[in-house]
Amino acid sequence: MNWEEFERVFNDCILEGNKIIIKSKLHEVIKFVIDNYTYNMLKEITACDIGNGKTELIYHLYSVVDEEDLFISVTVTDEAESIVDIFKSAIADENEIYDMFGIRFAGNEDLKRLYMPEDWKGFPLRKDYVQDDTRLAWNDNNDT
Amino acid sequence: MTITTLKLNLGPQHPSTHGVLRLLLELDGEKILSCEPDVGYLHRGMEKMAEKMSYIQYLPTVDRIDYLAGFFYSELLCRIIENATGIELPDKVRAIRVMLLELNRISSHLLWVGAFLMDLGAVSPFFYAFREREMILRFFEKLTGQRMMYNYFVFGGVRKDIEYLDDVNEIISVLPEKINDYEKIITENPIFLRRTEKKGVLEAGKAINYAITGVNLRASGIDYDYRNQDSLYKGFDFRTIVLEGKDAWARYKVRIMEMRESINIIKQALDYLKKAKPLEQHLIPPVNLKLPEGDYTAQIEAPRGLACCFVRSDGTDKPCRLKWRTGSYYSVNLLRELLVGEYLNDAIAVAGSLDIILPEVDK
Amino acid sequence: MNYLYFLYIEFLEKYNISKLFGDITFYFIPFCIIAAALLVVVLVLVLAERKLLGFFTQRKGPNRVGYWGVLQTVADAFKLLCKENVTPLHADRFLFNLAPILAFVPMFAALGILPYSAEFTFVNTRTNVILYLIFAVFPVLSIFLAGWASNNKYSLLGAMRSIAQVLSYELPIAFTVLSVIVLSSSMNLTDITLAQFSKFGITGWFVFPCILGFIIMFISILAELNRCPFDLPEAESELICGYNTEYSGMRFAIFYLSEYAMMFANSMFISILFLGGYLSPFGKYVSNSPFLIYFEQAFWLFLKAGILIFIMIWIRAALPRLASFDLLKFSWSILLPLSVINLFITVLIKMGGALC
Repeated sequence: MNWEEFERVFNDCILEGNKIIIKSKLHEVIKFVIDNYTYNMLKEITACDIGNGKTELIYHLYSVVDEEDLFISVTVTDEAESIVDIFKSAIADENEIYDMFGIRFAGNEDLKRLYMPEDWKGFPLRKDYVQDDTRLAWNDNNDT
Repeated sequence: MTITTLKLNLGPQHPSTHGVLRLLLELDGEKILSCEPDVGYLHRGMEKMAEKMSYIQYLPTVDRIDYLAGFFYSELLCRIIENATGIELPDKVRAIRVMLLELNRISSHLLWVGAFLMDLGAVSPFFYAFREREMILRFFEKLTGQRMMYNYFVFGGVRKDIEYLDDVNEIISVLPEKINDYEKIITENPIFLRRTEKKGVLEAGKAINYAITGVNLRASGIDYDYRNQDSLYKGFDFRTIVLEGKDAWARYKVRIMEMRESINIIKQALDYLKKAKPLEQHLIPPVNLKLPEGDYTAQIEAPRGLACCFVRSDGTDKPCRLKWRTGSYYSVNLLRELLVGEYLNDAIAVAGSLDIILPEVDK
Repeated sequence: MNYLYFLYIEFLEKYNISKLFGDITFYFIPFCIIAAALLVVVLVLVLAERKLLGFFTQRKGPNRVGYWGVLQTVADAFKLLCKENVTPLHADRFLFNLAPILAFVPMFAALGILPYSAEFTFVNTRTNVILYLIFAVFPVLSIFLAGWASNNKYSLLGAMRSIAQVLSYELPIAFTVLSVIVLSSSMNLTDITLAQFSKFGITGWFVFPCILGFIIMFISILAELNRCPFDLPEAESELICGYNTEYSGMRFAIFYLSEYAMMFANSMFISILFLGGYLSPFGKYVSNSPFLIYFEQAFWLFLKAGILIFIMIWIRAALPRLASFDLLKFSWSILLPLSVINLFITVLIKMGGALC
């Protein structure tokens, strides 16, 4: 992709290999990328807990025409921008990330517990999650 | 006048949802007005599990992500480790892996053919498909000791040298005829055509927007097969099957044609393996295996779409974060739009044609 | 029937039992025998279906209970008898219990009016055909009641489909039966059978003048029996089990039984209308004694019905299910016009025959 053009518009971002690290304006960046380049598929959104209550979201974009992968990384605390209006596949990803990391996506209203039971407390893939639900056989508080 | 609609809870225990998928349907008569997929009845926490296990402890569990195509997921995890440690696979290991992956793809597609026809109400093809699948599973059982959860690939190679090549030879000599037989009783069957043609039409743009990959995308006319970029498949000659049909029939046809193509690949691998010397491989010592700090991704063309694995390592012997991307998960997400406007019995056919398997969705 | 009747009365007179008693019991005893025999027939049919489906799909079929699996269905029936009858909490209890009985009764009535051999019809009226058609449609009422009373959405959808299906396939059946009535100039099943008699056996059968009617009839009967490829009301992969999803134990067994008994009765009905009923395909009978001839005639009828049932099972092994929309379209836009054309053809044949 044409990195110079991208950098002119969004100047506070870093390029590492095929991974762009941005600080904010996620929706704008993704909109810009798909409008100006051939990237058209959002393969997945990966979330990673990086400590201090922060989560890194990695958007894995793909261009079917050029057969190129592009990663866009953004760090959020509790709320992120939803991109379901651009990619319908993000419905699934954002819901999964909400279920596992507790991140709310502004603009995506039907987030619900997906894998976990509806009355489950806590978000399992966070690093500060304690497995103390009484329904678990491998309960952390239940070592005896 | 108010129209009363019927809310139908299709699943999680229903004969044709292929596991424990739950679809909340709103019906007007038999016409579907809205569809809301609900998953999570088979969630085993594969990603959480990885964070508490070392890589070699985790390896046997990944076959369970998709129990019909277990080789693909262990290959994916092995590939992550191999990429991270920078090991080159010997040619013979590559040939073995390609052969087993393609055999597994055929067995997965065969099961799909049977189950899809079962959804459409035809009983016999299910048994015919299982008969051929049985041959492949027998071979896997002989080779790995397991019919479904193989645990055969290890980091940097395979657990033991390939054996029983005669069985593979027999499989690939019998299969093309059998696939012809399926085509005879299924493909041109007028009832089958009426049930699948122009049903569940998935336009290319929509498919890409919903991140549909694999066979379903190729049946919508997009030429995207990760095997073409895959270094594992380098040196193997095969076609990518792309059809413009966009409907359930095209998805069926692509799978059938892909099986033939897989046989072609297996033949090439088999020719190589027959002549190859006994295997010499330098396995990565799996105990206390520590990946260097950083992010690793690997992708593979699984039978149900592109599978990706993402590993973030913090330098310890356990992954800091491990994520799976599976094809079926996005197919389920597509159902909320694809089923709207169809009749109930077409909806079953359309949902079946996407080849959804629930362990893969729920991870 | 008269012959047997006189034998029976003579037998009673020997022991000084009144003729009135004989009149009352004469129809009752064989009916009980048939009812018991019917159970056996259904058990055999279910076994045959499972065995044949096994062979069609390169399996062995049931082969554990008894020699070659012959007692499998007996064991299944016994299991169903022992099972608990569960009634759903919010079901309409009265209708829920009534529905299996309503499925059962018309089946017996339908079997009562079929001519099994020259003298052997329990109730021989002048308009047997019409009676039979009424009894053959009757099970749909029980299907509807079952679907409605179960208070289950799948059952309701199954019942809806069943009604739409039977209503639309009833008309082609009526038109083809009409063409047979035209050919034989009678509405009595025994007379229809006799009208197909010829010296060369097979040539007199009505299947030759109206082969089209035979095919239409066969397809429509498949639809009315909810057999594959028209098994939408109980489409397993869509509606779990359709109208009998909520039924268990004996009630389910009764539905099952009446379904297979109806299949048997309808196959006999087609054989009577088109395949010469109890007439021998060779023109003359193998046996000589008048008593044995009755059994031989019944044998021919059962054989013809058996072949039709075999074809039905074969179709089930071969074809996928139709879509509900196509199902109705097929009946109204293809079968119905064809059956009218068939009626015209038969009328022309009849006129030609009369002129010659």
